[in-house]
Amino acid sequence: MMDFEQLYNQYSPQIFRVCMGYVNDHEQAKDLTQETFISVWRNLSTFRNESKISTWIFRIATNNCLRALEKNSRIIKVELPFHLPDVPEETQEDKLTFLYNCIAELEEIDRIIISLVLEDLPQAEIASIVGLSHGNIRTKVHRIKDKLATKFKDHGQFE
Amino acid sequence: MNDLKAIWLTAKTDSLPDSHEMVHIIRKFRNKKLLKITALVITAILLVAIMLWVVFIYKSTMLSTRFGEAFMIIAGIILVSTNLNSLLRFYKLKECSNKEFLQFLEQTRLRQQFYYQRTQVIAMAFCATGLLAYLYEGVYENTMLFISAYTGTVLYLLILWFVVRPRVFKKEEKKINAQIEKLESISKQINE
Repeated sequence: MMDFEQLYNQYSPQIFRVCMGYVNDHEQAKDLTQETFISVWRNLSTFRNESKISTWIFRIATNNCLRALEKNSRIIKVELPFHLPDVPEETQEDKLTFLYNCIAELEEIDRIIISLVLEDLPQAEIASIVGLSHGNIRTKVHRIKDKLATKFKDHGQFE
Repeated sequence: MNDLKAIWLTAKTDSLPDSHEMVHIIRKFRNKKLLKITALVITAILLVAIMLWVVFIYKSTMLSTRFGEAFMIIAGIILVSTNLNSLLRFYKLKECSNKEFLQFLEQTRLRQQFYYQRTQVIAMAFCATGLLAYLYEGVYENTMLFISAYTGTVLYLLILWFVVRPRVFKKEEKKINAQIEKLESISKQINE
């Protein structure tokens, strides 16, 4: 059996970022990460290696995110202003907040897909997590990238 | 895209508990929703067991008492089977993709809706009728006792039926309908 603590140390930062991409709320993302690892702990003994362990963990995490719609009043959707004032120097934190806000404007499944893309997961693995064909994911990733690029361009960010 | 990845990775994750703290959190964790259903199932099983015990210990002479006992046992069995079934669905849920999980959630919400609209009404009807029939043998010889027992019970059932249930139902129905709508919209995103 795989060592839980090792899995936690390896995957918890990734899971947290994916949850953060979905909910755009630090505390809720932390809760979702914990819920994910509670499920991992409980089901690790029954994990049958039918898929990669990372696929299994990301599936649990993203399913937890989808379930969070029951309390989605906390999911923060920020309408981006049309003209952002010129900021002489943006901090990494500003850029990250802007990225989260752009992702928050996407639809739920797109938020999951782009978060997994940003975690550098292969498209075949993303397809297996979401439950779509590889081709379908490729098209969706392309569309999401376009949407994000437009948002960034519209707001003149990080050019 | 690489720029975005670089920004993405700057997210601070140091507020997450370390692995030892996490194991501690897991050991303390109790799923409140599942505990609530488990408590309901255990209570309903106890209710049915007590009723069965009463049936065998107390030999009633009137048919109304027998009917009352049978109706209340049926109500208990309905409660046990539906709640046990919904509990088992969660335990049986194995590893699944987002698409399969959404289908599972949609089914769960539809089952919940059916439970509030039909199953609960039927169980309550059986229980209320059973209770009214069961009481008769114990109080019919004493007019005062008869009037007070039936007034109290009928009043209680009327409040339960016309005040408590519609209020809970309205609140739950609104929540479930909103969730079904949301799930349908997410499923559409996957299927488009």
